[in-house]
Amino acid sequence: MSLLKPFSKLPGLNTANILLVENEEQFQQKLADTVVLQEKTVNVNVRLARSLPLPMENEESRPRIDLVVFIIHLTSELSFQSAETSLKYLDPGYFQGKVCFLVTSARNVSVPPERLVSVRTLAASLHCPLLCAEDQTTEGVTTAARRLLAILKVAAGLVPMATGLYLSTLTRCTVPSDIDQQNFE
Amino acid sequence: MFKIHFRFFSVMEERSSIVKTPLNNVLAQRRSNSYRRSMRSCVEATNLGYTSGHLTALRIPRSRRTPKSRDITKQVDPDQVALLVTKEWELSYVTPLYQFRHTQLKSYSKHLSAFIVSEKQQGLAIEVGQELGFKVNFSVVLGLAETDEDAETVFIQILSRQAFAAKDDAQKVVWSGWLTCVNGDLEYLRSLPSEFVSLPLLCTRGPESLTVLVKSWFEKTFDCCFGPLGINSANLQWLAALWIGCHPNINIQYLKLVWTLPTLPPMDVKYTIHPQDAWELWHSVRQDDTTDVSIEEVTRFIKGLQSHFFRHFRIELSAGSLMQVSTALGSSHHSGKIKIASPTYITTILQLLTECALLKMPI
Repeated sequence: MSLLKPFSKLPGLNTANILLVENEEQFQQKLADTVVLQEKTVNVNVRLARSLPLPMENEESRPRIDLVVFIIHLTSELSFQSAETSLKYLDPGYFQGKVCFLVTSARNVSVPPERLVSVRTLAASLHCPLLCAEDQTTEGVTTAARRLLAILKVAAGLVPMATGLYLSTLTRCTVPSDIDQQNFE
Repeated sequence: MFKIHFRFFSVMEERSSIVKTPLNNVLAQRRSNSYRRSMRSCVEATNLGYTSGHLTALRIPRSRRTPKSRDITKQVDPDQVALLVTKEWELSYVTPLYQFRHTQLKSYSKHLSAFIVSEKQQGLAIEVGQELGFKVNFSVVLGLAETDEDAETVFIQILSRQAFAAKDDAQKVVWSGWLTCVNGDLEYLRSLPSEFVSLPLLCTRGPESLTVLVKSWFEKTFDCCFGPLGINSANLQWLAALWIGCHPNINIQYLKLVWTLPTLPPMDVKYTIHPQDAWELWHSVRQDDTTDVSIEEVTRFIKGLQSHFFRHFRIELSAGSLMQVSTALGSSHHSGKIKIASPTYITTILQLLTECALLKMPI
């Protein structure tokens, strides 16, 4: 099985590589352009994919991927299912702070709330952060890009004294249970 | 089947019973009530859902009891049942009504008819009780409420004389609507202050202008808010499973599902299934005929239909959204339109819709 491995290649100098995985291939292009424009000090390479596993032909030329972002559109069930199946092709080393879930249309009225709950349970079980993004406006895309860049720089080792594993213990997703309810007051 | 049990191992101090809380503390009371009760009733398989204002936590059940076919005419007057079925209703949610009395329906009728006439003829003073062009009928439909906490259903009809009608012609119904609460969330209903009556589901049928007038009258008189209620795809799937489950008793004649796919231009897929095939698929998904239907069974059933479609047409229906489900027993649309053709399972459908309405409310 062609797993994507986090540490099998050498890192580049002052470089960070991010992989955006999205089944619909709509949001990743906008997000990629914004990410590259936002970051001035570090070389950011954005790779786009529809799903994992990645094609074998590029295996040699592909750089080391520091952060894998799964973009899930809550309006379609297929988006979530494709992300779930792609997860199998990631080496377990990625789940220590190098995977992130990005969810769009979480506030949409027509989305059944159960779908967001299942994405949250998935993210919580893998100890990964879950970001909600607004993909229709430029401010939303810029905000999402900035947040991804913050996580990417830590995952690529460009932030001193912080590693992906350390950050993931702070940013990981939690699923609200009945016990959390009492903390509301 | 998997049933998720919430069990609490941490020791929580029992709060002393809250005798009477001042009105501005009512929100806190609601939440503490729900976690106290959740300790006792935690064996129910539920998800925690939040109303759209994130102020109340309600339970969204992950499994529902299989509905028993019941002759509703034993509980409800058959004429009144006939008013509710075979018509297409548009759904809205209603926040709790302040000081709504079921005993004052006659005075409400007079006030509402005066209001409608005065709005239609701006500038003329209208006396309440006059012979007016519009006549409003408020009536109570007894028997639909399931628990003691549910308020009785209120049915509203607006009658009007047709233009150019002879003097003695009967007035025709131009608009009808009904407010109902069937098996509403018990914790929520009990936590409401006593002056409020909760009838969260409003079904209307008729010209939009009259609907707007009725809603504004209610808003002015009872200090409530209205809003559109849609039926999301999970609830449409529940309804499909409900109607399929009835097939051995009542022939549903067809199961039609309509999906909208986000292609350019958007594509609508109407998928009609022979009832016997759908029933066999449903029966094979329902491994044991227990009393509960769980959401996993419903999702598996729909996934089975989707994968069959994919095998033949190479179109993945889960990439789109489910818009409409219809059978001979009724039809429901994503935008909030429902038609109940047969009164047998009306309480189960209304219970599901009441739950949707309670979740959609901003309180």
